[in-house]
Amino acid sequence: MTALTSHLKLLEAESIHIFREAAAQFRAPVLLYSIGKDSTVLLHLARKAFWPAKPPFPVLHVDTTWKFREMIAFRDRTAKAFGLDLIVHTNHDGLARGMNPFDHPPSVYTDIMKTQALRQALDTGGFDAAFGGARRDEEASRAKERIFSFRAAGHRWDPRLQRPEMWQLLNGRLAKGETVRIFPLSNWTEGDVWRYITLEKLEVVPLYFADLRPVVERNGQFIMVDDERMRLEPGETPQMRKVRFRTLGCYPLTAAIESEADDLDTVVTETLAARVSERAGRLIDHDQAGAMEMKKREGYF
Amino acid sequence: MDGAALEKLETQVSVRTIPGPVETSGAMVKLLTCGSVDDGKSTLIGRLLWDAAGVTDDQRAAIMHASHSRAVNGERIDFSLLLDGLVAEREQGITIDIAWRYFETRRRRFVIIDSPGHEQYTRNMATGASHADIAILLIDARHGVKRQTRRHAAICDLVGIKKVILAVNKMDQIDWSEARYRAIDADFRALAANFGFTEIATIPVAALTGANVVARSAEMPWYSGPTLFEYLDSVDPRAEPQDAPFRMPVQLVLRASDDFRGYAGTVTSGAIRIGDRVVDARSGLSATLRRIATMDGDQPTAKKGEAVTLVLDTDLDISRGAVLSEVKRRPVNADVMEARLVWLSEQSFDPEAGYLLRTATDLTPVTSMSVSALVDFETLKSTPAHDCGVNDIADCRILLGRATALDLFRDLPLTGNFVLVSAIDGATVAGGVVTWVQTGAAAVGDNVLVLNRARLAGLCADLGDSPADRAEFERRAQEVAILLRSAGVPVLIETDQ
Repeated sequence: MTALTSHLKLLEAESIHIFREAAAQFRAPVLLYSIGKDSTVLLHLARKAFWPAKPPFPVLHVDTTWKFREMIAFRDRTAKAFGLDLIVHTNHDGLARGMNPFDHPPSVYTDIMKTQALRQALDTGGFDAAFGGARRDEEASRAKERIFSFRAAGHRWDPRLQRPEMWQLLNGRLAKGETVRIFPLSNWTEGDVWRYITLEKLEVVPLYFADLRPVVERNGQFIMVDDERMRLEPGETPQMRKVRFRTLGCYPLTAAIESEADDLDTVVTETLAARVSERAGRLIDHDQAGAMEMKKREGYF
Repeated sequence: MDGAALEKLETQVSVRTIPGPVETSGAMVKLLTCGSVDDGKSTLIGRLLWDAAGVTDDQRAAIMHASHSRAVNGERIDFSLLLDGLVAEREQGITIDIAWRYFETRRRRFVIIDSPGHEQYTRNMATGASHADIAILLIDARHGVKRQTRRHAAICDLVGIKKVILAVNKMDQIDWSEARYRAIDADFRALAANFGFTEIATIPVAALTGANVVARSAEMPWYSGPTLFEYLDSVDPRAEPQDAPFRMPVQLVLRASDDFRGYAGTVTSGAIRIGDRVVDARSGLSATLRRIATMDGDQPTAKKGEAVTLVLDTDLDISRGAVLSEVKRRPVNADVMEARLVWLSEQSFDPEAGYLLRTATDLTPVTSMSVSALVDFETLKSTPAHDCGVNDIADCRILLGRATALDLFRDLPLTGNFVLVSAIDGATVAGGVVTWVQTGAAAVGDNVLVLNRARLAGLCADLGDSPADRAEFERRAQEVAILLRSAGVPVLIETDQ
């Protein structure tokens, strides 16, 4: 037995219920694994939902090739430890065209290396359902999501035509060409995710904890110089700062915050007291008004 | 982290909590806001979040910025921008779909479900209402109760909400008139007599100025009740009877290498303990509970809300769709039912279309369905009718292609609710609650075609008598039934189980 508080217990049970409904109703589900804290919780809940059996679906990582090195190491460790059926997909066509986060605006880069890559991977695998770790508290358009989020052919989301979703009843019956994104963590907040990680003693990528890291400061945000591909502006020199990350993505597009929080307890405390929302550190969300909704309409999860 | 540290964390979350007795019940309160369009729902909740908790500094800055560029409310901050997150919503200044927001006080977690007021988006409001424990029904003090107010109240009642807060909004627009407030309160209580609400709290507010939202209003000294926030932080959201009978709809049968066979599901009511007898109402078979298995170790008991895996002492040969229950008070294995539903699809009810009934975990073909009455949103009385269309609330009778385990919604909501699904495109066309059930009443008349093994002998010549083959027979029979029904032929499926 674990020491979860009552509202975390309710959230955990709801997520397990969602995983089981999806496994029963869809032909070929897949779990989108992005290595971060939400994916860590998602994977843990998937294991609980089907225990003592293994989760009856593979795990998919869409790799832009610009993830933090520590993320990739963590991914491979996790896949081995839990015996996961891990699929790694990269949009090689995008790479061949020289796509990178420096020469292209974040919206274009994200569309090609993440959204289109995800669509390729889902189509190639013939998956009709994909679990994602998105939470409604992350962003205004995500606050509007259903748990079973239907996508028309081409993975397009039409927020004006969402399927009614009443009570605990999840209707996964698909029309021709439709697929579905499933969000078991819909009702979790960032604070819940951290409290759950603490109480369940889950391992997360060390980048979430403050440490001395080489960073450059741009527009008041700290960008980590994770490898030699990082392009420095004239006059920029990496400096060592004690920083950590609230969300993890492609390193040139993910800002760190200065922090002394170097273990779970202090991270939870800092998170619950935060006065700035977590996606403030995601440069791709600020490119244009309604940026997340636009990405979702194109098939971003 | 130890318990004391966690408690410390949970108490420091909000520094702006109003002091009061510590609430031990209701760790999570799910709150719906509804009411007619322009009565100020998003603004009220935006105001509540702004004043009480849950708005971060960057969100505040973005809202301030967007408010100035839009200037809908003149100099003021546009609190509705906190919730209307879709581009179309912001452009048109309306709410299209429900928005979910979360905040905590030191007592509890709040889940706020902000729903659209336009009649066109009633299906989204119904989605939101079905997830809520408590509804805040807004009324514009200048206009009083409207048709859409009555429709929303009726939907709240249908989906099982028992506690309603009537927020009489825009009091600043009527000079804080106590007489007007009392008249609206009386109007609403009169119409609410049609419903099963157990508690109605009426609170005069002005969302734009914040009066009686979190801070007490100086303009309404005649009102001595709680502010909206005070009420929410102390209300007990639960409306469940003690000692409810045990139910667990089976989602999956889990098998693992070491001879493990368990029934996975979420307990929807009551509790169970190792050694208790459980029965599958569909087959009438019973067994003794041997283990309650979870990844965190076995549990001695499981109660409502827990997602568990049950291991029985004998193999009942049951699958997804079965409802495990206690032996004495079991669900009805019903093939005919009466229900009240809200129609959600733009396509009206068609007695000859193929529908499927999705209950807790079962999916059952509908043999025939007829509408008997509609709720009139002027009088809130039922009036005889045979048709129903989008946003209507209808009473209907449904014959099922095979029996399934059902309870009455008023007794056990989570095994007495359903959605109606189009057999053609999978769309959810209605959501409803079971009001009456019966076994074996779907008497086979002369005009009902019975699909059984004999009639489908050719189609099923390859099938034997194994459980897998019997399931395959049922699947094929259901597909045939859908085709026949769409051609207008009433059909009943007879399985040999």
